[in-house]
Amino acid sequence: MNLRVVGANLAVSIKTFYREKSTMFFTITFPILLILVFGTIFKDQGNENFNLCVQDLDQTETSAEIAKSLALTGRFKITRVAPSIDVTQYARNHKVNLVLIIPKDYERSYTQYLQFDDPNAFVTITYIYDPGSSSVITKLQILNMVFAKMNQGLSGKPAFIRTAEMSIHTREYRFIDFFIPGIIAMAVMTASLFGTVNLNTELRQKGIIRKLSTTPITRTEWILSNILYQFVLAVISTTAMLLVSYAVFDVRLQINAWLPLFVVLDVFTFVGIGMMLTRVVKEAQSAAAAANAIIFPMMFLSGSFFPLELMPRYLQTFARTLPLYYVNEGLRASMVLHDNVTALSDSAIIGTFAAMVFILGVTATKWEEGK
Amino acid sequence: MMTKVEHAIEVENLTKCYGNLVAVNDISFKVRQGEVFAFLGPNGAGKTTTVEIADTIRRPTSGKVRILGMDVTKEKRGIVARIGVLPQAFSSFDRITVRETMQYYSRLFCCRDADIDGLIELVNLKDKAKEQYMKLSGGLKQRLGIAIALVNDPEVVFLDEPTTGLDPRARCEVREVLLGLKKEGKTVFLTTHYIEEAELLADTVAIISRGKIIAMDSLAHIIESNADHLVLTLQADDEKAFEVLGKMGFEPEINNHKSINVRVERTDDIRRILNAMNDAGASLRSLDVRKPNLEQVFLKLTGEALHESDSGRKGAE
Repeated sequence: MNLRVVGANLAVSIKTFYREKSTMFFTITFPILLILVFGTIFKDQGNENFNLCVQDLDQTETSAEIAKSLALTGRFKITRVAPSIDVTQYARNHKVNLVLIIPKDYERSYTQYLQFDDPNAFVTITYIYDPGSSSVITKLQILNMVFAKMNQGLSGKPAFIRTAEMSIHTREYRFIDFFIPGIIAMAVMTASLFGTVNLNTELRQKGIIRKLSTTPITRTEWILSNILYQFVLAVISTTAMLLVSYAVFDVRLQINAWLPLFVVLDVFTFVGIGMMLTRVVKEAQSAAAAANAIIFPMMFLSGSFFPLELMPRYLQTFARTLPLYYVNEGLRASMVLHDNVTALSDSAIIGTFAAMVFILGVTATKWEEGK
Repeated sequence: MMTKVEHAIEVENLTKCYGNLVAVNDISFKVRQGEVFAFLGPNGAGKTTTVEIADTIRRPTSGKVRILGMDVTKEKRGIVARIGVLPQAFSSFDRITVRETMQYYSRLFCCRDADIDGLIELVNLKDKAKEQYMKLSGGLKQRLGIAIALVNDPEVVFLDEPTTGLDPRARCEVREVLLGLKKEGKTVFLTTHYIEEAELLADTVAIISRGKIIAMDSLAHIIESNADHLVLTLQADDEKAFEVLGKMGFEPEINNHKSINVRVERTDDIRRILNAMNDAGASLRSLDVRKPNLEQVFLKLTGEALHESDSGRKGAE
């Protein structure tokens, strides 16, 4: 093993990366864009501020209190709709998914209920809504909770059943904290797999590997330099993603020895798969398509973007067969949950898998032309 | 310690098969140290397969190949350190400059004292030293390929079709560089399908066709030993000369320059033709008698033209 040779090959790869703007974009800029987009979308998940249209047909001080109370919850931004307007048509025209209607005689029924203690006095608040809208269910749940609380207050008795919420995690985390480890795992996978497939097929098609086979560089030195190159890219891209995450979203992630370990295992796994792919698929374009066929199921089914609980049970079972799942879970366990036991078991599983595919990949890599 | 051997390349009963296809069929030859040896043959003749076995890219099906006394199947590491290779359709890293590419290959060979600037100058790429490979023209890329093949100061240089695909000017530039190698006394194994390249550079030419060597000697000897006729070329003012030749039983052909070519077996025939022309009153502007060139010898030996386009031209002539 000649480290000077390994270093020379690594230097050429890094120079090519630095000068190839599209590779730079997909390795560094693209994952950062994903973080910025998804982070912005889910930044305030659980504390969203919804638009709510209210039509007050009673037009009294008492009925106006309802809209005020809803605004005070901090969950709604109220838009008032004039009593003369047909709210169904209004909702269609203005693409509004929910309009709340306070009925006429609200104040009179309120007085009757409160001052004359009439148990038959009540009002019906009507929801005009679009059942096809995804956020309307959340809005209705919040409204029902608010009205339940108001009814409780009007009854004059304190609530008998009360609730307390406790997270299973010792510290409070936001969606973005769980999202970043998944994106790191995915970005390293994509760069390692595509990098290996593109490099090997392109150099083979151009005859560069044939030329290299007439020089003293060995197959082991070539593979080692490529692994180092992919690891350098993974470090650059992971560092960039973490810096952006801390700067823009103030994430609360723990950086420890598990992070480089999982990144290394991620690199070895997907470089190994990449080497096996390039043995089977010779043309650069077909190899890229084959790499996509591996990357997309991993990306969407191993929990990088979406929590596995949202998927049907059989897909959850399938996800546990994907290597990226263990990188995702291991990184989350170490960076977010501070769960070293889970990180250890995930690293053992992905480590074994990485060793297997890497050995197969090395065996599959051809250095001489047809024997 | 390196041993000095008489023959830089020794090939014995080399055969290479791809499935049922026999690409190289039991060939043997030797190349002396300091000799420029050209393998001449059309596409698919087995030139590249032979050179790729000799420069360790491929493994033979059977037979022995020794480079500088070392067996290609057993001593690859020893061989690659002492040879330089320009593979067919050479290519390099697109975004790496000429100088960086040279430095890269010199590091692969661990040549701390490689004269990068000297080699860049040798192939006339000094002005392009900072240019990325992808921005070079075809001729410049080939010249860089030759410089890379020399980066470890090799004892044997393999050049597989170094001028194929280049325009005539680039071809001339590359040949100038190859002449420089010849002057330096390097052992060069060259494959080509350009006769003029073999004529210009080679001490020994081996003609290969369908995996077999069908002639091997110096160019002059190959022509001499296979030229059993003469070619008479006439330029006439009218068609009488063509008619006279036809009546005498010859088979005249009009070539591209509107001259008449006729194959004659003996020198006596030339005298007979000139007398007949005189008698018929045919007016001749010029007359030329030559032995056939290598192209014609090649056609005679193999029954096929060196270039695909040549076969069409012959038919038209």
